[in-house]
Amino acid sequence: MDRPLIKRQTTLTANVVAFCRFLRQKGYTVGPREEADALQALLAIAPFHSPEAMQLCLRAALARTYAQLHTFDELYTQYWRELDKAVDSKLKDGAPEPGQKQKPKRGAQEPSLMNIKNWLQGNTQQEEAEMAAYSAQEALSHKDFSVLAEAEMEEMRQLIARIARALARRESRRRKASPKPLQLDLRRTLRTNMRRGGELLELRYYKPARHKKQIVLLCDVSKSMDLYSRFLIQFMYGLQSAYQHIETFVFSTQLYRATAALRQRDFGQALSELSGRVPGWSGGTRIGESFHAFSNEHANRLLNKQTVVIIMSDGWDTGDTALLGESMKRIHQRAGKVIWLNPLAGSQAYEPETQGMQAAMPYIDVFAPGHNAESLKALQRQLR
Amino acid sequence: MMENKELEEIRHMLREQGYITEPSIVMSVFLAKALKKPLLIEGPAGVGKTEIAKVMSRALDTDLIRLQCYEGLDATHAIYEWNYQQQLLHLKLEEQSDKSLEEREQNIFSERFLLKRPLLQAITHHRAPVLLIDEIDRADEEFESFLLEILSDWQVSIPEIGTIKATHIPQVIVTSNRVRELSEALRRRCLYLYVSYPEFEKELQIVRGKVPGIDQKLGEQICRFMQEVRQMRLEKIPGVAETLDWAMALSALHIDHLDKEIVESTLGIVLKDWQDIRQASLSLTELLEKVGAISKFENL
Repeated sequence: MDRPLIKRQTTLTANVVAFCRFLRQKGYTVGPREEADALQALLAIAPFHSPEAMQLCLRAALARTYAQLHTFDELYTQYWRELDKAVDSKLKDGAPEPGQKQKPKRGAQEPSLMNIKNWLQGNTQQEEAEMAAYSAQEALSHKDFSVLAEAEMEEMRQLIARIARALARRESRRRKASPKPLQLDLRRTLRTNMRRGGELLELRYYKPARHKKQIVLLCDVSKSMDLYSRFLIQFMYGLQSAYQHIETFVFSTQLYRATAALRQRDFGQALSELSGRVPGWSGGTRIGESFHAFSNEHANRLLNKQTVVIIMSDGWDTGDTALLGESMKRIHQRAGKVIWLNPLAGSQAYEPETQGMQAAMPYIDVFAPGHNAESLKALQRQLR
Repeated sequence: MMENKELEEIRHMLREQGYITEPSIVMSVFLAKALKKPLLIEGPAGVGKTEIAKVMSRALDTDLIRLQCYEGLDATHAIYEWNYQQQLLHLKLEEQSDKSLEEREQNIFSERFLLKRPLLQAITHHRAPVLLIDEIDRADEEFESFLLEILSDWQVSIPEIGTIKATHIPQVIVTSNRVRELSEALRRRCLYLYVSYPEFEKELQIVRGKVPGIDQKLGEQICRFMQEVRQMRLEKIPGVAETLDWAMALSALHIDHLDKEIVESTLGIVLKDWQDIRQASLSLTELLEKVGAISKFENL
């Protein structure tokens, strides 16, 4: 009987669309445009008889980041395997009764594959409910950031706004008209003098653009920093939203670029995105490896003599301390200024004795406490 | 196995142009062409991302227009600029004519005095070219959004002239070394391809293809050495370009195997950072043992 085959062929389009939705659940940004891409891509490679070609084609059409490229094959297999099962059982049991409700799996950590079947049956409402439940669950299972006191937030906001203003004043001179003869602005000179029949009587100049001060924030989010983490996050978020030229990275055992997550307009959203995505939050610390990764992947673009690098860490390092020193040296060579804020340094008795701190010390321009709002005021002066 | 004729054709063309191809590269290049979508290629430096664009333009038998991105890249370098010198000269020459002011103005702000930069060139080319936007991650985010606008509208507006619409839509290839995260919007507009360092077999094929006269054993040793070196914690990991340079150099010296002395004296071709060279020199014996160029007992 070739009924299953026919069934699968005629529903190919529906399946591809359902697969796209499955991917969306798995965190892919797949909208109608991508669904159309996928279908057109399949159309373009037709006729194809091998399953591999189809997989390759869908991957090329739908994966849009490095990470996605790596998870795609597994998701693909997972989806079609589940679908095969669904189709087989459908044939066995006959068509499902109309209006039949399926209970969502309880406590499922992953978006349940039930959803796919629901999609196939056109039950989208349940899908949405389940997806919402899923994301709420996820946020809770990660670190709880939601306990930030409103008063603290407000204080922080004001302080950060002040810091940002101080920074903004420094970069207010962009390329603009200048009365002094510096560099001839031909475009405006011509425009102005056209009125006089093209005789160049009045020359226009501009000042060269000034480099804006770039800030790079490297924040330690490992276990030993837990006490300060809410302060840290507020600080990162506030500075990011108040000042444009800033790149924020967080690290524990590896480096993660948090700039995009922090750019969310809504603070809560930024938090959940961060806690969901950062690998090894509250984990061990490998500062050396993280900084090495920074100097390898980002230093070229981010560091120049206009850059201020702010590191927030307690210097407890379980990784390679020699590598930490080496990376700090490189960062120090390239950056304009390196500031290390250490929350432990707030206590009177503190001496930077940890190995990590010792290794990094020679390459720090400003070493200061960074445990409360007070210490940030000191930072404000350093940024000038 | 792929049966699509055009797909086979592209594979064939890519291979013919000396590009060793993986199925994923063939598929992406084919789909970019079939769906008329830009192709975003990411991967470390020196794996031949730019090469794909060059091969594609040769394969499609069309011109390659290249825009190299850098920090501070702006419209006057990417799209158009007026040729001020010529405009001034023209004004001087026209001084004695009895043309009205408006006429003169119209004259000097015409296409004749327009310097077309790569993006404008690409959309006004006489046939659809391949437009290579190289290392987009070096340009700043403002430029990226600016590029997005052109990629979706395919037109450029110049205040003095008006809107210039694309005569042909170019095949766009965007490359990035992943120095910076690219915006979601740009990613969604493009198909995505990641090219990494080649595996041993593939690299060997490339070496044999580009350095035909190379000794068989030497080629293998070089490629194995490169695989090992890339495992080290280096400042600048060498790409395929370095492998080829090295292979060519050693082949030209009529060397047929690697040994410590040869590697030491030519390491500068492979590694471009002083500290990397020092690091590799220190562990050279170990490296060569792994490569199989020297045996553990040889130096006893």
